[in-house]
Amino acid sequence: MASPPRTFKKGASNLVSSQMGAEVRASDAALIERITQRDEAALAALYDRYAVMLSSVLNRILRDNQASEEILQDIFFQLWRMPSRFDASRGSLPGWLLVIARNRAISRLRRHNPAAGDELGENSVVLPVNIESAVAQKQLLDRVKRALDGLPAEQRACVELAYFEGLTHSEIAARTGDPLGTVKTRLRSAVVTLKRTLHQAAS
Amino acid sequence: MANGHPTRDEDFDLLALGALEGDEKQAIEAHAASCADCARKLAEARGRVAMLSLAAPEAAPSAAVQQRLMAQIRSGSSAAEPAQQPHIARVPASAGAPGAPGTFARWWNAILIPAAAALAALTIFLWRENRALDRQLAALHASMAQQQHELHEANEVAELMTSQSTITVPLAQQSGMPKGSAHVMYNEKMGMMMYDGEITPAPAAKTYQLWLVPVTGNPISCGVFKGEPDHWMMKVPEGMPAKWFAVTLEPAGGMPHPTGPMVLMGSVS
Repeated sequence: MASPPRTFKKGASNLVSSQMGAEVRASDAALIERITQRDEAALAALYDRYAVMLSSVLNRILRDNQASEEILQDIFFQLWRMPSRFDASRGSLPGWLLVIARNRAISRLRRHNPAAGDELGENSVVLPVNIESAVAQKQLLDRVKRALDGLPAEQRACVELAYFEGLTHSEIAARTGDPLGTVKTRLRSAVVTLKRTLHQAAS
Repeated sequence: MANGHPTRDEDFDLLALGALEGDEKQAIEAHAASCADCARKLAEARGRVAMLSLAAPEAAPSAAVQQRLMAQIRSGSSAAEPAQQPHIARVPASAGAPGAPGTFARWWNAILIPAAAALAALTIFLWRENRALDRQLAALHASMAQQQHELHEANEVAELMTSQSTITVPLAQQSGMPKGSAHVMYNEKMGMMMYDGEITPAPAAKTYQLWLVPVTGNPISCGVFKGEPDHWMMKVPEGMPAKWFAVTLEPAGGMPHPTGPMVLMGSVS
């Protein structure tokens, strides 16, 4: 049975530590439900669960700690303001948060090209595995790293340019100097391999 | 595209990755918006692509972020990104652009936060400096007081030694007593005396004691000592004419009145 909603007046760190046991066991969906009832401890628990993961990708994209922390804070603030925006029936919370974080970071990175930021931002994200626990996150991290390490270097470079810098096929070709067709082939091969590898690992 | 469906499933991954562009991108997006099966495939592709985030080097946020977040939700303001629109997954094109409302707040943050940190550091530095200066000042006061005390004593010694009214009384060894000799300088008007002498060290549990024996009244103790070279100066009641000075051997710590044998003795002539 989920813990009843409670409101805490203490500081965030005390709030987190005092509720650690109950919050660690609560599912993302349960915590989101509690956030709709204005339970600060539930937000703090989700922050504890996913802040490092989101901060890591924000920092990787922006390479600017202050900007990363601003976005991280705002993502959780918006989650607090509008928890109903997340629809658990349509996907997983960490996947959704990761997509938002990446979109926000790339939008910030490419602020002189507003159209790029406006294209991004999706709502339905399905992760093949549940990563609500730190152990599951670690296991998935190992799988992703193994999958990326298994790619040829030029394919991996294309994937990283696309994902962490938000570059399209033609932008990658312009950056690397490789023919557009070569870039397309490399990226297509890479995503096919990643899909197969990650599915095998998940199953 | 076959019947509007992408011919290859990896197209969804490429779309989620952001690599597609132009007509190809728009065609898949438009189709997925009206095809539940392709929308599901796109959602799965987004999940696979999102997992690439985990390849980023771990970078934990500072504890201050959570503290600011909790303070923000209590105040209800959107301090971190005031320019954001309500849709959490959408980023306005103007976000972060120069001139946007959030830019002003960020500029202020960029100026005020370092300024506040610098002011706090300066305050701590000045406070510590002040503490150090206070300690130095106290030490200087103590040193000055000590120097004034020593100067006063030196003046008294000089006055005692140069005053016409100071008498010097030699103290002679008494028969059968430990070997020793001493003299006392005494100024009745100043009420000052100075002893300077050397006696064989007193036996265990014994001590020597110097006495001023006035013309009238009981002997006055002028200090206890263990022997060997000794010299000291002390205040005694003013205007008390001395008859003689004596050193006796007393129990350790001295006695209120002479009780032991007289070791040294000298008469005021």
